[in-house]
Amino acid sequence: MSDQIISISPVSAEPVSPDTKKSRGRIIFLAILFLSLLLFPLTQAIFGGMNYWLHLMLYTFMYISMASSWNILGGYTGYVSLGHNVFFAAGAYLAGILLVYQGISPFLITPVAGLLALAIGLIVGLITLRTSGSAFIISTVALILLASIVMDKWELAGGANGLSLPLMGLKMATAKIPFYYAFLILAALTIFMSYRIRHSKFGLGLRAISQDETKAEVAGVPTHIYKVLAFAISGIFVGMAGALWVYYLTYLRPGLFLSIGIATHMVLMTLIGGKGTVAGPVIGAAIFIATNEFFVAQLGSSELNIVATGIMMILVLMFFPDGVIGTLKNRNRLPRFLDWE
Amino acid sequence: MVILETEDIVAGYGSGPDILKGISLQVEAGKTYCIIGPNGAGKSTYLKVISGLLPSRKGRITFKGADLTGWRTDQILRKGICLVPSDRSLFPDMTVRENLRMGGYVLSDQKQIDQRIAEVCEIFPILGERHAQQAKTLSGGQQQQLAIGRALVLRPELIMLDEPSLGLAPKISKQIFDSIEILKRAGMTVIIVEQNARMGLEAADWGVVLDLGKNSFIAEAQKVLQDERIQELYLGKKH
Amino acid sequence: MTQISQIIILGLSLGGVFALMSSGMTLIFGVMRIVNLAHAAFIVMAAYIAYWAFKLLGMDPILSIVITIPVMYLFGLLVYRVLFAKLIDNPRFVELTVLITFGLSLVIEGLLSYFFTGIYRSTTPRYATDTLNFGPFYFPEGQFYATVVSIILLVGLWALLRYTRLGYAIRATTQNRTAAKTVGVNVHQISMITFGLGTALAGASGSLVSFLFTFFPAKHMEWVTIILALIVLGGMGSLIGSLVGSFLLSALAAYVSFNFGPTWSPITFYLALFLILLFRPQGLFGKKMELQ
Repeated sequence: MSDQIISISPVSAEPVSPDTKKSRGRIIFLAILFLSLLLFPLTQAIFGGMNYWLHLMLYTFMYISMASSWNILGGYTGYVSLGHNVFFAAGAYLAGILLVYQGISPFLITPVAGLLALAIGLIVGLITLRTSGSAFIISTVALILLASIVMDKWELAGGANGLSLPLMGLKMATAKIPFYYAFLILAALTIFMSYRIRHSKFGLGLRAISQDETKAEVAGVPTHIYKVLAFAISGIFVGMAGALWVYYLTYLRPGLFLSIGIATHMVLMTLIGGKGTVAGPVIGAAIFIATNEFFVAQLGSSELNIVATGIMMILVLMFFPDGVIGTLKNRNRLPRFLDWE
Repeated sequence: MVILETEDIVAGYGSGPDILKGISLQVEAGKTYCIIGPNGAGKSTYLKVISGLLPSRKGRITFKGADLTGWRTDQILRKGICLVPSDRSLFPDMTVRENLRMGGYVLSDQKQIDQRIAEVCEIFPILGERHAQQAKTLSGGQQQQLAIGRALVLRPELIMLDEPSLGLAPKISKQIFDSIEILKRAGMTVIIVEQNARMGLEAADWGVVLDLGKNSFIAEAQKVLQDERIQELYLGKKH
Repeated sequence: MTQISQIIILGLSLGGVFALMSSGMTLIFGVMRIVNLAHAAFIVMAAYIAYWAFKLLGMDPILSIVITIPVMYLFGLLVYRVLFAKLIDNPRFVELTVLITFGLSLVIEGLLSYFFTGIYRSTTPRYATDTLNFGPFYFPEGQFYATVVSIILLVGLWALLRYTRLGYAIRATTQNRTAAKTVGVNVHQISMITFGLGTALAGASGSLVSFLFTFFPAKHMEWVTIILALIVLGGMGSLIGSLVGSFLLSALAAYVSFNFGPTWSPITFYLALFLILLFRPQGLFGKKMELQ
């Protein structure tokens, strides 16, 4: 359907088509970005005083990973989960308990945490995905509240007071660096997986489900299996993030991992960036965290943060339901380096 | 005397394309019109625009000399135009009597409404019999009678029926059309949209053919019935 | 036997209040298909109003209903105007409203936290700690009054819906929105009024819960899930349903509380919500929450 513009040019050199130029430019940009992120911690090792930025970066990487994961269920498939941090908590509790009682390093446990999350996702998904739409959203809220109460009572994990984890034994100056790399790798892996799913038959099926589930079913998409898979897969990296984060915090407490705030952040970041796109959650996480830091610096108090989160959510939903990436795309103004579809 | 005039009506749903692409029609008081046409031609849409359920994008609607363009449904109802939608649009959990009461929603005098309900029950005795039953328990034909009865509570001067025979067995449809005869005899102006073109045209004075959002043909109903093209297109006769 | 009856009485006495709390939400869902996740935040808001009326004016919390109902009614109209009026024709309306109301609940929680901090509060009229004795059974006096007031308000609501023109319009819009339009109901106006009404009911509930429970800004999250459990069990959009659901689950929760300790009773509601959504999403009397 697109018009072919054939240039009858006397110059015989082979024209580089705009698409190749696009991807080349994009790849170069991303490579440079990745390289600089890789090298960034060296500034801390050499110059010091960058701990705040290291923290901010790895925090952003973590949320990039979590938001991108959430996006697989919420954006691609259209099932909004407000209780996604149940995976976060699962990974954290697994890693925390194993560290405290068995002395196993969370860095080793992380992949296992991912598998645990996958298993939980399959089981929970099989149950909760029997509902859809608003009922599903509410069931995820009930899930997280249920988990909170249960965890509050679990004595092995210290109940409501939680457990204190042993430190890693690194100097203050370099303590954050391993986590920086760990979260960076996690984020990269998640984005990669998100991209692959988007361009797979599975991803196509998910998109069909998000548009019109009945029609997708009729067209032959195994909707139930796909939905459960999406649910489970979307939990893997969140679980892994939990295992790493608990180690970073050195503290395990239900309130830290099971607060609705974390789930809301995942949702909001994806919405701001543009749900259903690969780059959306990434941009959204960056924007949200940056704005949050700005507000905290200006206003300081944490209650107004909740207000700001709520207001942002409302505004984005009402006026920019497609998020930054989506809105730019609709107006054909998406810069090439952000188009990761 | 022309009671209703629609000039060049253009309309569509949401931000979608124009379904009606300029319909102009003059309706004479006391006559019965039957609008036929293929699916998607805009027949139901046209009735919705007149009754105020769907705003028009362009054009004018004049009724009894007043410009109704852009009026709200309750204002149009008070002026004397009623619509009986194709899905009957009943309130399933309300009783027959309550449904009829809702017909008189725009009126303020409760006594008047009760009086009208009694009149309606004379035309449709079954409604009187089952007045305390929930609307969802009625049969298709009874529901249609309730839908028409509800419109009659307002004693409209113009009543519009969207596919009155929809989903009804032929015998029941005939009963419905018999009751439409009563409306005609009472002097009401009637506009019917019908898929069952033969039944509709036989009950009407004028036939209007709507196609692709425009009215392509208007003539006396009998002539429309006998027109060869119409017979082929809508009445299934092959030559 | 007396013990079980006592437990049930305690459960039922709370059921009336829960029924009031959930009536507003189910009313709003019925008319507009909005799942208002901020409903409990409205209740907390009203509880604070009752609290400050009590603290600063010495006003009895039950009396404060005279303030909370009109104030919250107007607030409801405002919220509807600002948030929902434009969106009502959007095809993704239902899902959007769930998230938007969630965001709204956060805003309210944050503001309440900011102005009033997270200190646990409750109003302390004399009857909050007294008990009434009926033969072998005892009734916490506060709960008794609260239930009586709740029932009065619920009966008033029922009468409004059953006998007034507004009530007819609300019921009509709930049962068939397009049909309501056809007979001339101004569904936009009715939606707005209903939202105000539902919020006003939240307001009345707030006055009552101010002395029944201790509250703080974040409490709304727990309450909204409880209310949802009650409504979903009874059936979204069905007032009778929310009534039945309230009494059933309250009695059950009282039983659980008695046998396993009070900290387990919220679990009853969460678990119930979960299970009902899974196995019978339309509840006993109502409509499913997912709508095309």
